[in-house]
Amino acid sequence: MANVLSHPIWRRLAAVPPAYYVFGLLLLTLWLARPNMLNPNVLGIFVRQVVPLGILVLGQLLVMRVRSIDLSGGGVILLINYIITSRTFPEASGLTFVIMALAIGGAVGLLNGYMVAKRRVSAVIVTLAVSIILVGLVQFLSSGKPPGDVPKYMNQIFDIKYGPLPLPVLFWLACTGVMWLVMQQSVYGRYVEAVGESAEAAAFSGVPVERTVVMAHVLAGLIAAVAALVQTGSIAVGSVRVGLDLPILAVAATILGGVVFGRGEGGVWGPFFGVLSFALLFVVMTVFGIDEPGKLIAQGLIILMAAILYGWRSKRG
Amino acid sequence: MFDGEPACLIEMQSISKAFGHSKVLRNVTLSLRSGSVHALMGENGAGKSTLMKILAGVHRSDNGRILKDGKLLQLSSPREALAAGISTVFQEHSLLPNLTIAENMFLGREPLKRGGGLDRRRMRAETAAALAELGLKLEPDQLVSTLTIAERQFVEIAHGIKADASVLILDEPTAALNAADVEVLNRSIRQLRAEGRAIVYISHRMDEIFDICDEVTVLKDGQYVGTRAIKDVTPNGLIAMMVGRELSDLFPARTASIGKPVLELAGFCATPKARPFDLTLHQGEILGLAGLEGQGQQRIMRALIGRYLPAGGTLRLYGQTLKFPGAANGIRAMARLGLGFVPEDRKDEGLMLGLSVAANLVIALHAEQPAFARAKGMKAVVQRMTDALRIKTASPTTPVASLSGGNQQKVLLGRYLARDVKILMIEEPTRGVDIGAKSEIYALLRDFAKAGGAVLVTSRETVELIGLCDRLAVIHGDTVVAELPAASATEHSILAAALTAEGVAA
Amino acid sequence: MIALLRSGFSARRSRHGLWGGPLVIVVALLVILTLGTDQFATRENLFNLVAQAMPLFIAAIGQMFVILVGGLDLSIGSVISFSTAILSLDGPAVVLIPAVFLLAGLVGLINGLVITRLNVHPIIATLAMQYILLGITRFLRPVSGGEIPQVVIAAVQGSVFGVPLPLFWGLIAIGLAAKILYGSRFGLHLFGIGGGVAAGMEDAARTYGIRVDRNIVLAYVTCSLFAALAGAFLAGRIVSGDPNVGLLFELDAITAVAIGGTQLSGGVGSLHGTVLGAIVMVLLANGMNMANVSPFVQTAIKGGLLLAIVGLQSRKKMGL
Repeated sequence: MANVLSHPIWRRLAAVPPAYYVFGLLLLTLWLARPNMLNPNVLGIFVRQVVPLGILVLGQLLVMRVRSIDLSGGGVILLINYIITSRTFPEASGLTFVIMALAIGGAVGLLNGYMVAKRRVSAVIVTLAVSIILVGLVQFLSSGKPPGDVPKYMNQIFDIKYGPLPLPVLFWLACTGVMWLVMQQSVYGRYVEAVGESAEAAAFSGVPVERTVVMAHVLAGLIAAVAALVQTGSIAVGSVRVGLDLPILAVAATILGGVVFGRGEGGVWGPFFGVLSFALLFVVMTVFGIDEPGKLIAQGLIILMAAILYGWRSKRG
Repeated sequence: MFDGEPACLIEMQSISKAFGHSKVLRNVTLSLRSGSVHALMGENGAGKSTLMKILAGVHRSDNGRILKDGKLLQLSSPREALAAGISTVFQEHSLLPNLTIAENMFLGREPLKRGGGLDRRRMRAETAAALAELGLKLEPDQLVSTLTIAERQFVEIAHGIKADASVLILDEPTAALNAADVEVLNRSIRQLRAEGRAIVYISHRMDEIFDICDEVTVLKDGQYVGTRAIKDVTPNGLIAMMVGRELSDLFPARTASIGKPVLELAGFCATPKARPFDLTLHQGEILGLAGLEGQGQQRIMRALIGRYLPAGGTLRLYGQTLKFPGAANGIRAMARLGLGFVPEDRKDEGLMLGLSVAANLVIALHAEQPAFARAKGMKAVVQRMTDALRIKTASPTTPVASLSGGNQQKVLLGRYLARDVKILMIEEPTRGVDIGAKSEIYALLRDFAKAGGAVLVTSRETVELIGLCDRLAVIHGDTVVAELPAASATEHSILAAALTAEGVAA
Repeated sequence: MIALLRSGFSARRSRHGLWGGPLVIVVALLVILTLGTDQFATRENLFNLVAQAMPLFIAAIGQMFVILVGGLDLSIGSVISFSTAILSLDGPAVVLIPAVFLLAGLVGLINGLVITRLNVHPIIATLAMQYILLGITRFLRPVSGGEIPQVVIAAVQGSVFGVPLPLFWGLIAIGLAAKILYGSRFGLHLFGIGGGVAAGMEDAARTYGIRVDRNIVLAYVTCSLFAALAGAFLAGRIVSGDPNVGLLFELDAITAVAIGGTQLSGGVGSLHGTVLGAIVMVLLANGMNMANVSPFVQTAIKGGLLLAIVGLQSRKKMGL
């Protein structure tokens, strides 16, 4: 029996990020339980729901690859959503909003990156603290009440579909493609790979380690801003709680997708399927009547299982 | 061996130990008499520390046995060794800096009051007594982090005495002590000897050994060479016992042409107490920093990349005076000037083990590019390097962790050669590398020098430095104590220069 | 006495951390609040203050144990909510009260084992645990409600000889913690382990024969038990089970511990520092309330405070 298990094919299967298995399993479950949900239009709508998460994940996987983490994405999304819906800038055009969003995301990312790379503070604490500040700020400015409406044109753009394929999903695919290009083809991608693998060895090779980490956080902030714009387009009215649970979901999806602190075996598409898995997971859970508590437990368990798996593997390897 | 002497307190018989493939100790014997101070000598890598770590319960020997008073000892942990009466003061201090002296003394075996709480009063009283015994003016409640290195060393000795040890192992005890402290230490050692304890004294300092020790055992390359009474030997005789290896013909011929200076250190002070020295590296030459381990070779090398801040001196590179690089960007700045630094620890500092051979080879080249440029595959470079260095790998995409030690080292070197550095600084060029790969690496370095490069190398294997280098600078006490042409140098002459020099400021 | 005070200001002389700073801040805040407002020094306000402070107080003390060995416990917020939920279930007090502590101890045990045996980073492990526990709590008690056993309410509300009962809780917590931290082998070993971790000599404690893993697990168990105590107290105060009451508690606790001079890298810190740190946060909150600062801004300020405090502590590691 032991001989069968040590066959190289098991090791290759074990090296595949769990996201693919989970996705397949959930798809199968859905097909068995509610085959009528498996038509492209319905699935398209479900996938569109998770596009903000999917975009946020791109930033999270970048940051996790350099052994850091970013839990401030929720705060960024909330702030940008507030600025757009509260009519603070009534004359602003769509382009202005985009620029403002990117500026905010970049600034937050810069602060995170500075604290993590230069001041060497724990990334969890920094990004959580920043998130708290942003959330407190928004809730104060909005006096706890939901701000105004989302501009109509944003909802309209969000609703565009090409057949069964919604525009946001296409956009998400494009963003993922861009991130894939950056990681695979750019020098920066090599820096990230090196720093994640061994910061010391990277430093001795001449890689600018601190700068790489700061840049990762800045990029994550910019990406959070993009996610914020999509998220705003997906709702009709501003909210004081939008996006807050996304960062931790992003961590779970990323870990599920095979990207774990320093290790990047999952690449960019592993976390992509991680997000899809979570989309399906929530659908399946709703179908079976499990609601919010179950979702929270599932989130926590997935993070734990994946972290144990990687902890166990790195101990052996 | 000695007539009418008290029976051996400790006997280590046929001790062998291997770490992975390297055999550190082979069939070593050691006999310690009670009431004696026994010196343990040998070059770097002779096995002295490992032998003592086995006695102290830190490692377990593969073969052989240890007897105390004729009874077999099973030492599987430091705690058991301490319980058996064997106490150690290692070079790497293991006192916890954030605890008090008393707490360190009793850590792991704290006395308890009747209610189950810590008996701090007893800890304090007994610690004060032990400190007084050594004549130390320290308070039991002082934090170890506030003590000087000398004081910490004395505390560790007090720990040993407190634990009522019958064997005390002192590993380089005077490394951080001044003359006055050494006298205090010697007084304590003599008293301990009078009480019938056995003291093992590991040191390189000839004058101290001849001052305080009764007998000396010499190890060489993990093997037992001999034991002598101190009155029966001379320093030269001891050195002769420690060296004397065959120079193999692993080494390529030395080049005759040495060019102009490329790197000059003037008035360089590694530490505030060290004597300043000058050192020049020329184009086409391989210069080795020889001498015993930990005498400053690494500090000197790493000062050149900003990993260590020297106490003084000037640096000239290609004739231009430069400031010593800072920590943040040192390596990158020096790399831009054509300087490559190969760290000694392949696993933790050198290679990115999970990445492919190709990735490890070209990363320094990538580091030269702007961050958002397109990363070229550099397949040609990878191929060129793999061929030139004869790196044996299934394919360039194999993870470098699966290569043999020798091939891994070649990949590490290849990274810097690919970047076309002009000056190569290497720590331990062939550590953990098999014979075949060793000679290939030597040939590579010689070819590099022949083509106009310059090499600065440190190594714990003196024989390697003699064979590989053109010139040797012997380092002792953070300064250069001698410069010798390698062709006429011998292990003996190098060790003699190191051990009988007055390089260290007291 | 002078020497004791001086040690609070010198990082070198003491392993208690820089508790001199928070002491000064506490004194300053007390003076400012007493002189600056008329509401502060009233009996009513002070009673209220003590009652409001107690949960954070107790939780911070628990968190201190884990931080001293160089770890972090992000799950205590959920443990607190969970405890109130358990106490709000239908059942006799004699069953519910021990159940709270048993379950909290179990949570701490799991945290500790996952971290030491399964090699998972403390932040990831406790973060995951927080979500799992939150889900379980929301399942047991989806909205706040339920009845808390009379015994708990009575132990929390009211006063004895003019001294508010919450104060006794605080004194008990301090007494317990002091005995554990300073009067037992376990406490000393925690400092030893943390000191080794902080100085990069992780195996140092082990060479003394200390069972490092076991002690770390115990630290997490202790932290969870204190969190449960805080939760029990809260249950007595709000008189219901509330799945949201513990939210963000962990960050407040970490802030309090950090303000008190305990280093997040481990090995340096003190009980009195943690107590002072918690008092600082409580006085700040009280002051801000009296100045009519919006609770949202208060939250933001607390975030900023955490950022500033940890930004001042230096460590070598980058990232997580």
